[in-house]
Amino acid sequence: MPRIKLYIKHLFGTFIFFALLVIALFESKNYIQDILANPENYFKSDLLLPDLHFAIVFILLATIVVLITYIFYLILTLNTRSELAVWNATKSLALSKEQFKRLYESAPVPYLLLDKNGNIRDPNKAALRFFEVVPEEIADKDFFSLFAPESAAESDKFHRYYKTGMPINRQEVQMMTKKNGARWVLLSIFEMKNPGSFSSTGLAVIFDITEQKLLDQTKTEFVSLASHQLRTPLATTKWFTEMLASGDLGSLTDKQKEYVDKLGTANEEMINLVDVLLNVSRIEMGKLSVESKPTNVEELSESVLSELSLQIDRKKIRIDKRYDGLLKNVKSDPKLLRIVIQNLIGNAVKYTSDDGEISIAFRDFGSEKQIVISDNGVGIPKAEQDKVFTKLFRAGNVRGLSGKDGTGLGLYLVKSVVDALGGKISFVSEENKGSTFTVTF
Amino acid sequence: MTDENKKKILIVDDDSNLNTVLVDKLKFSGFDAVGAPDGEEGLKKALELHPDVILLDLVMPKMDGLEMLKKLREDEWGKEAKVIVLTLLEETDYIAKTMESGIYGYIIKTEYSLNGILKKVEEMVAGAK
Repeated sequence: MPRIKLYIKHLFGTFIFFALLVIALFESKNYIQDILANPENYFKSDLLLPDLHFAIVFILLATIVVLITYIFYLILTLNTRSELAVWNATKSLALSKEQFKRLYESAPVPYLLLDKNGNIRDPNKAALRFFEVVPEEIADKDFFSLFAPESAAESDKFHRYYKTGMPINRQEVQMMTKKNGARWVLLSIFEMKNPGSFSSTGLAVIFDITEQKLLDQTKTEFVSLASHQLRTPLATTKWFTEMLASGDLGSLTDKQKEYVDKLGTANEEMINLVDVLLNVSRIEMGKLSVESKPTNVEELSESVLSELSLQIDRKKIRIDKRYDGLLKNVKSDPKLLRIVIQNLIGNAVKYTSDDGEISIAFRDFGSEKQIVISDNGVGIPKAEQDKVFTKLFRAGNVRGLSGKDGTGLGLYLVKSVVDALGGKISFVSEENKGSTFTVTF
Repeated sequence: MTDENKKKILIVDDDSNLNTVLVDKLKFSGFDAVGAPDGEEGLKKALELHPDVILLDLVMPKMDGLEMLKKLREDEWGKEAKVIVLTLLEETDYIAKTMESGIYGYIIKTEYSLNGILKKVEEMVAGAK
């Protein structure tokens, strides 16, 4: 027990010096008394010493002796104390190392330590479970050779990244396991510089996302397929209705015309719904690609307004356009930006009552452009405002309102698209006063 | 107007409803419209009738629109034929490929009204002269 030995050494030193101190004081007591009583014997003349009380001199001397002794004590035990400190530090280091090792070994996340060439040095238990191997099967193997053939390109790329010290952070790749075949993972590799040496190692962290991936894929494929299959009959209905309404097949009575028009409107709503569903599934598949080109935002806004003119006229909504000749030529993706404007103006129209007012304003701050769309409609309740951009959100005050049959996807889509465009969206809203949405890009 | 003076439009679409309504609309509007249910017959009719404009669906049985377009471009007359692609929104990969075969326009089925299609066809026919 090195610790006890150290303490004994320590105590022994302390004891010796305090003992010496006591002895010194006792021994000097008689001399001091004598000096004070007969100073002429020592100093050859009568100094003022006898005026000083013995007790004061004694205390002074004792204090000096104590201080000097303490200094000696500090100097002489320096070695012992530093040894003790080192010993304590070493022990807590060993403890934390042990704890770290245990944490590494039994963490539920697969970890693998790699040498500088990317060969596997120390896989933890979760890593062995993930690859379904025993340590011998995987030791010294090139980590990047464990990528599935589907991710061969990534394997080469990330191996190059690793060797040049470039970070690999949460990359989706497929890795090969022994029995379960290829699995989707999020792979991160952190470089771990060894202090005081040029060599470095890597810590590979694997996060199995196969289940989520499959679920997501099934859902997205279903939506995509459904949207596709729905479109053909929707196009058929659209054109047949138009054919009937056009009178090419014989003129209709007013009542018949009214019915055919309603059929057409309902079908258009269905087409919009399918478009939204498809766009949402596309966003979730990550298939939404941004194609930036010169875009006329005024034109987009006008085309959306003309598309909505029927509803706007019916509700006698006043549109206050404050384009100010701005944003006629900005760099953006017109298709995506149109989705944003269409949904925001569409919502404004939908949630504004008859004789309401909607304003559409553009602002240009140089590098930042803004589209501001306000209405004086039903607004969004305060308590629900933080959920506005979540999927399938429908405010409590519009659920069940006749003719306000939203999908709960519009603003989710808008937010996703604005994110994809690298922009920001914010809003202020008060119930029964209206909402203002601001898109900055 | 006699049949010979009418402009010929060929509609190739496997959906018989869409095919019928397009043929009817174009006929009512004074065109000589002919339908074909797949790429194979579409190609045969195109080479036989030399239509002024071909409306071509992409996803079809037997021979799809892309294949038909490729074969059409191999023909002396077909090289210059005017083709408008009829499509549904998500067939973007297909659209990219048709670009290589030089087509004259796209119609996204759910976004175009019959009148819109008619206008596009008329523009194209007028451009022929």
